[in-house]
Amino acid sequence: MLRDGASQGTNPADWAYLGGDDVPRTAPHSRAEHGRSAQSPAIEVIDLAKHYGDVRALDGVSMQVAPGETFGLLGHNGAGKSTMIRILTGRAKATAGRACVLGHDVPRELAAVRGQINLVGETPNLYQRATARENLELFCSLYGLPKTRAAEALEQVRLSSVAGRKVKTFSTGMTQRLLLARALLNDPRVLFLDEPTRGLDPRSARDLHDIVRRLAERGSTIFLTTHDMHEAEELCDRVAFLADGRVVALDTPRALKLSLDHAPPEVDVVLDDRSELRLATGEPGDAARLQELIGNGRARSLHTREPTLADVFIALAGRSLGDDDSSEQAS
Amino acid sequence: MSPRRILAILLKDLRDAGRDGRIIVLLVLPIALAVFYNATIDDGGTLPSVDVAIVEPASGGVAAQLRRAAGKSVKLSLRRSTDAAGARRLVAHGDAELAVIVAADATGGGPAEAQVFVSTDASPTAQSVVALVPDALTRATGREPPARTRVVAVAPTDQSPADVLGPRLLSVLMMIVLLAAFVAMMVVPIQTAEELETGTFGALRLAATGPEILAAKALAGFLYAAAGIAVTIVLTGLDIADPLLFFGAAIALVVSLVGFGLLLGLLVPNANAINTFGGVLLLPVIAVAGSVFFVDSGVIVTICDVLPFSQAARLLGNGLSAQDPFDTGLTAWAVISAWAIAGYVILARIATRREL
Repeated sequence: MLRDGASQGTNPADWAYLGGDDVPRTAPHSRAEHGRSAQSPAIEVIDLAKHYGDVRALDGVSMQVAPGETFGLLGHNGAGKSTMIRILTGRAKATAGRACVLGHDVPRELAAVRGQINLVGETPNLYQRATARENLELFCSLYGLPKTRAAEALEQVRLSSVAGRKVKTFSTGMTQRLLLARALLNDPRVLFLDEPTRGLDPRSARDLHDIVRRLAERGSTIFLTTHDMHEAEELCDRVAFLADGRVVALDTPRALKLSLDHAPPEVDVVLDDRSELRLATGEPGDAARLQELIGNGRARSLHTREPTLADVFIALAGRSLGDDDSSEQAS
Repeated sequence: MSPRRILAILLKDLRDAGRDGRIIVLLVLPIALAVFYNATIDDGGTLPSVDVAIVEPASGGVAAQLRRAAGKSVKLSLRRSTDAAGARRLVAHGDAELAVIVAADATGGGPAEAQVFVSTDASPTAQSVVALVPDALTRATGREPPARTRVVAVAPTDQSPADVLGPRLLSVLMMIVLLAAFVAMMVVPIQTAEELETGTFGALRLAATGPEILAAKALAGFLYAAAGIAVTIVLTGLDIADPLLFFGAAIALVVSLVGFGLLLGLLVPNANAINTFGGVLLLPVIAVAGSVFFVDSGVIVTICDVLPFSQAARLLGNGLSAQDPFDTGLTAWAVISAWAIAGYVILARIATRREL
């Protein structure tokens, strides 16, 4: 299930602009290049496996991501999320199976893909002794883009005022925004975000979410890994749960939550004396008590307790997202 | 391989090196030591010296042949003059004891000719240098001059290569070997390891291929070494008898070692560890290489025979001295080439396995 706007990505015209309102998008990709991928899923993996010795980081994963879709890959630490991104970005070879990005087999046709994808990794892999501008200009040179593109990307993430500052003086939030700016340089048709808000304060995380939303609205395909359930719910059209190298569920966040919603909801009630109580609507006594509290005006606030994505994950994977997997080191 | 991407990474590395105190120290230290040794060690003080003015076509090689013929028996200070009159004035004013004027048509047909101006109060040493001129002329022009004197410089058999070179030249030479080793086995691996350590290597891999990144790092190493050696030569005023051999050996040494330096960077992705322990591990190797100048038999020589450092040191010594203190033949080149091939083959295998 896709959002209404998700299908924009199939129209090349929708790729005309990516950044802030007044920042024109450069056009590094020809229409001929789009032709092949416009009819293909943005990302397709078939029976993908990656083994590190006896450890199965990925164990027969199959999935598709549509052009323009924001897709979330959720799982505990070491579930294989980063391994999946490493394979899809050509930095690791699969042990078995097939990975395609924009219709091109990776890594066999990596050269055709390289200029059309980008990644914000989970580590702040920037040149600390260089300035923000120098960091981006290096990648402009690598992509064959004019260096003015660096200024545009800095503007997109609101870092223009610190363009001349060395990265080692940046806060975590600024660093993350600079990583995103670097990932936007080549106007990627597919953007991989590996735990993009890890370690960010709520405001910085919200800023980053806003930028990601703008990218999605302009048609970029976004492949996001996270174990932040709220982030996944907020940003993703569909999510997949990865546990022990396998996809245990794949659907929209809402559909996944509804799949677990068999029991009548519980309601948390805050009373006028500020005391709190939880009532199960499926219990006749609790239901009557709830009606009474609403009727006599004693209930000041009501909050229904619905299953969260975390609940769904625990139900399906048998453990919480915060639990580590022993395979993490290998992956 | 994209030259544009290699150049971009290379320029980034060069700029980053200038901001990295560890790398600046590694590059400056050998040069500073070479300059220090060059300034403080005087191995020519006991030799008789002669100031010689010389006039010859730009392509001529008489000056170099004269220096070669003189060897270590006399310290020649050669000064080029533009014409015969100028050279004569230098002799007349006592700025030179003798002047050698090579005929402009010395490279043409007929016997090679040269005119020699000798000061009337020239020393016996200067007179002996005059006797070397016909032979130098013959060697430079490839034809017999009217005088058929032939001088053959023969190094005394009881002299070690260290004696032939002298302590000053030897110190400077070893600092050049140290510089090449520092660049290849510390600077290059530090820059490579730091890229892996901080994840920037992975970022580069999104826009460039692994071979492009490694090629850029190797080129940066070559440039550091070339610049460092050039600066050392300029600052020490090193007089190189056979520039082709000397620079060829220096290039071969750096090229052969950079492969291992890249390998070290990939296998030990911890820049500070390489910086801390690299020098400690490298100095004994350099010491063994230096022993080729003092030891001529035993296990040490066998070890030296198979190490690129020591073989390169021998070639550099031959390039630096007109007396060719070592009989290297093609063995030295073969050993260095074998190490180079081994280094890059292993590098390619490791890089492929590591999925860089």
